Amino acid sequence: MAGIIKVEHLAKTFGTNEVLKDIDFSVSSGDVISIIGSSGSGKSTLLRCINLLEEATSGKILFHDKDVLAGAINEDEYRTKVGMVFQSFNLFNNLSVLDNCMIGQVKVLKRGKEEAEKNAMEYLAKVGMAQYIKAKPRQLSGGQKQRVAIARALAMNPEVLLFDEPTSALDPEMVGEVLDVMKILAESGMTMLVVTHEMAFARDVSNRVIYMADGRIEEEGSPEDIFSNPRSPKTKEFLSRFRGEKE
Amino acid sequence: MTISEMNFFQRMLYILQDYGGSLLAGAATTMAIALICTFLGCVIGFAVGLIQTTEPHKKDGAVKRGVLRVVKLILTAYVEVFRGTPMMLQAAFIYYGMSSVFGINLGMWSAAIIIVSVNTGAYMAETVRGGILSVDPGQREGARAIGMSHMQTMVYIVLPQALRNIMPQIGNNLIINIKDTCVLSIIGTVELFFTFRSISGALYTYFEAASVTMIIYFILTFTCSRILRAIESRMDGPANFDLATNDTLAFTSGLTKYNDKTGGMH
Repeated sequence: MAGIIKVEHLAKTFGTNEVLKDIDFSVSSGDVISIIGSSGSGKSTLLRCINLLEEATSGKILFHDKDVLAGAINEDEYRTKVGMVFQSFNLFNNLSVLDNCMIGQVKVLKRGKEEAEKNAMEYLAKVGMAQYIKAKPRQLSGGQKQRVAIARALAMNPEVLLFDEPTSALDPEMVGEVLDVMKILAESGMTMLVVTHEMAFARDVSNRVIYMADGRIEEEGSPEDIFSNPRSPKTKEFLSRFRGEKE
Repeated sequence: MTISEMNFFQRMLYILQDYGGSLLAGAATTMAIALICTFLGCVIGFAVGLIQTTEPHKKDGAVKRGVLRVVKLILTAYVEVFRGTPMMLQAAFIYYGMSSVFGINLGMWSAAIIIVSVNTGAYMAETVRGGILSVDPGQREGARAIGMSHMQTMVYIVLPQALRNIMPQIGNNLIINIKDTCVLSIIGTVELFFTFRSISGALYTYFEAASVTMIIYFILTFTCSRILRAIESRMDGPANFDLATNDTLAFTSGLTKYNDKTGGMH
């Protein structure tokens, strides 16, 4: 499998606070990687660094062997290929559902209106939001907003999709609809990097799990490795705490 | 019956009959200046506010940063000077200054429009800056995350939302401009206040002339404020914040049917 993103020795500090320390991992085509860990472990910051919303302090991000942080690829062009879904949706409030999914295609990718609409409709249908194309974001529920946000990211036809706690801002009954969409995406072969607190998703859908603690990758492996025989005591503790919550 | 024998209402009627045409012309001039200048002031305000909220990119060189800093400094000076001095003096300063120093004789219209627009622009710049800052930063991140440039993000996502947020303030400025054009009488612009002075000067009926003129001013401002309110509610679209769904099972839980023809509910 071809490598898409390679992160090497990535570090990020906010003032004197080291949020990420020496992060190394790679994403290959078709990977569905779940990043788990307690709050404050640097998961979201890692994702934001990969999407360049935060500037990494040191280290490298290679996209198809091109050094992104050194400017080997245009920042905006890179972002069109690495989509992002946010915890707080961030749908454009001034635009309808359909326009939310079209504006990037038309203005950034310079696609024709017709092509963009066809493409947008395809993905809106995929997330089950095709009936709502004229609605404004404020008329939608949280789960619906997040599904539109996923369609918006997909409509750019990215190579990788980053999910930053996509279900954390949702009411419990809406979590399922978003996870279902993500499951379908994963099955269709989309390359995904998902920061999540949904352990069932990490265990059942992803092919690799990264456990982060204190800004480091504590353990990385297949879902079976991580969930059935975690090697690190920190991972064990985290997972047992989590099971305790669940039961 | 001479004017000194009339009562208050008869005098007002007399003014309307004899000077109705000039009052109407004055009101038209006032409205034209106010509308044009509020529009131009908004354009200036958006341009200035946009530059004021631009942060230099991390990778920008020293030259680009320097230029941006100097431009921002000049714009800040513009805003502070024009907000901080009376428009009446600005009018005299620009109108007479242009003719005595540069030998340029600005016509009545161009002088009036320049002065009021530049003044409105100074106020609008701050309003627009506030409007831009009031838009959720998540909107910007969402736009950047699909590869939009800073300019595209501002033009398609942030400014339309900022515009909605500052509509009440734009209305405020229009109403202030309708009234404040009266200071242009100092450079001889024949607007509503100038007409009032001519009438009261000719007839010595200050009270009645003032009453008539005030009523006209009020009609102008009140009409404008109502129209602006209507525009605002149109910009908001259907004022229904109920969650939309086509899932009939969810109707009982307070979700209402989504009508895909109107884009709203019912």
